[in-house]
Amino acid sequence: MTAPKTAPGRLSPRWRERGALSLLLGPSVLLIAVFVIAPACYGVYLAFTDTQLTGWAARDPQFVGLENFRHLLGSEDFLASLGRTGQFVFWSAIVGQTLLGMLAALLLRAKWLRGKGLFGSLVLLPMVVPEVVASLTWASVLSSDDSGTFNRLLAMFGSGAAAPLQDSPMLSVIIINVWRGIALAMIMFQAALEDVPDELIEASRMDGAGALQVFRYVTLPLIRGPVFLYLLLTTITTVGVFGLVYFLTQGGPGQDTELSSIYIFQRAFQYSQIGMGSAASVILLVLLMVLGLTYARLAKVKV
Amino acid sequence: MSRNRVRAAAAAGALLAGALTACSGSGDDDGSVTIKLLEYQKARADVIEPLIPEFERAMARRGQEVKVELIADTLTDDQFRTKITQQLHSGSAPDVIDMGGTNVTGLAGAGYLLKLDEYLNGWDGWDQYYASVKDGVRQPDGGYYSLPHEASVQSLFYRKDVLERLGVDTSQPRTWDELIGRMKQVRAETGEAPMVLPAGTAWGAGSWSEGLLPIVAGTGSTLYDAESRKWTLESEGLSAAFDLYAELIEDGLLPVRDLQNPNPWEPTKYQKFPEGTITVAAQGSWGWKYDWGPEGAAPIENVREKVGVWDYPALVPGTEPYSVSGGGYGYSVSAESGHPDAAAELVKWLSSGVPLAKQLTAVGAVSPRKDLSGTAPYKDEPTLLEAERKLPGTVQPLLGDGQDQVSQAVQGATGELVSGDADGGEAADDFAEEAEELLGRPRVAK
Repeated sequence: MTAPKTAPGRLSPRWRERGALSLLLGPSVLLIAVFVIAPACYGVYLAFTDTQLTGWAARDPQFVGLENFRHLLGSEDFLASLGRTGQFVFWSAIVGQTLLGMLAALLLRAKWLRGKGLFGSLVLLPMVVPEVVASLTWASVLSSDDSGTFNRLLAMFGSGAAAPLQDSPMLSVIIINVWRGIALAMIMFQAALEDVPDELIEASRMDGAGALQVFRYVTLPLIRGPVFLYLLLTTITTVGVFGLVYFLTQGGPGQDTELSSIYIFQRAFQYSQIGMGSAASVILLVLLMVLGLTYARLAKVKV
Repeated sequence: MSRNRVRAAAAAGALLAGALTACSGSGDDDGSVTIKLLEYQKARADVIEPLIPEFERAMARRGQEVKVELIADTLTDDQFRTKITQQLHSGSAPDVIDMGGTNVTGLAGAGYLLKLDEYLNGWDGWDQYYASVKDGVRQPDGGYYSLPHEASVQSLFYRKDVLERLGVDTSQPRTWDELIGRMKQVRAETGEAPMVLPAGTAWGAGSWSEGLLPIVAGTGSTLYDAESRKWTLESEGLSAAFDLYAELIEDGLLPVRDLQNPNPWEPTKYQKFPEGTITVAAQGSWGWKYDWGPEGAAPIENVREKVGVWDYPALVPGTEPYSVSGGGYGYSVSAESGHPDAAAELVKWLSSGVPLAKQLTAVGAVSPRKDLSGTAPYKDEPTLLEAERKLPGTVQPLLGDGQDQVSQAVQGATGELVSGDADGGEAADDFAEEAEELLGRPRVAK
């Protein structure tokens, strides 16, 4: 067999393939380079400076080496914000959204459930609502005065007014983030469950396995990859949650809901310390990369 | 695609870009200039809007075609500060910005604002300004980067009608101990926290400028030294002020839950003070109109009969009751403005005569100038005229570069007090530590 001859003046298939690849990938690569890579690199550069947006010091930013990182890693406020972020991610994303999303997906797969369309729509609704609208709606529902929806409900049962956003702020924002995030989990798990052969489940049932055993020993191992992929995605997006919490509590009361994203926003934009805010972002990026690699290793999938 | 086609496409692109750039310019082709004026509070935008055609006509009479575009962007103070900083940093800010004096130092320091000395020194209106107002807006380099068009007096407003009904003395309290005694009396009657001083992170910069600062200012302790440009973060006055907050909280006299609300002024100044549940509020003179006037945020009927004003009581031995010059809004010009002369003319025109009188009346501010008390409609505002008479005798806190950072540290430390995480001494220590971290050691006096 001989290699096909290329007509004079024409590109070989190999070069044509390379050209097509460049043409297809080029715009994406360019956009990512301009809007993601370049700002990220600039952010890393700023993290090593004392750049400020206001004040006389803003006129002459200096290179300060690792000073910002030293300050942040010794700062109780920053470390506490990381701790709160971990708590928020664990309870709202890893536990709340994943468990309830899985439950919703399993229910939608159940043959005995009626009104699946309505149920699915209700679960999907929070994802459709814009973040600001969702926040302001919940702020109204949980308002501490008597006109708040929650307090009106309490009043119907003869109970006094409550102030969940002041008394249990972290629990409140966790519940709201679970409410908002179940939909994505449900969609991803539903798609994964479609790939689990019915025969396997039927066979295990015939062997006497209960529902929990079927899920634990048959279904879960088969959807392990998508579950870890979801955990990776939800961890990244939940660490980046800002608007939902900021519009509800602005990080308060005190610093009770000051997540890392809010800490970074305050440092960089409200306190105008861009250098310090950038350093905090770099630390968060490194932590997320470590977490991402851990998930990928656990899932034994290539990401 | 041939090389010629590439060239043609590039030329067409360049032409299009040029045309678009021309369209987005300030329209100087007909010999006129357009300047943009930013107002971020609705009441201010509403009063400015009808004044603009008058200014344009006044300039036309002088042979200058100046058009003013009003940008009315309603924002909270914190939202405004964040947004205008970004705009100034990116060079996309409007020509003229109307903002509170506390914002000016940081923005002027970064080089975003135009130094106005050249325009003010040649203007006879500048001679009419109260010395305390001028002192309040002079920046650390000795220059002026904003023209104040209002002043204010920060005092304690009290519900005269409620206190009289409860049998509580309404004469000027000489000391904080005396006032605390009266407030305990109110609490015993109503069971509610009877007074509000801004505190915590949710109140933002107000926790500093309307909360802790006026209290410290009356103690005589130095906060900022203009000569060395350094802040004193540990002093008798600061310790006494943090201890006072702690005592008020411990005695149940401050509404700590309301202070943790994301908008703490709503349940306190806009709801409980008008209701009469809160009987004393730290407040600037704008409260007469802007907050509790007939068209204010939370009107109190017959406000002049129901509400009275006390000076701050003395906190440390050897001091007397006092009120504080609370500053006010001023017009600044962006350093990137393409028409600084026209912008300066607008700023001066808005800070003079009837236009100024209308603005002061609309927002309930005190005149920063001595020559306005006979100008309508300001001359018909007795509460404002009374506050203006107090202005020369008020305490003028001396502040400088780094005020934003000190404000942030105050918000954090008073926030700890409100949430019960610190006592007065601990809050004072945490404030000093946080402020030093934010300011940097060279800017702190030891």
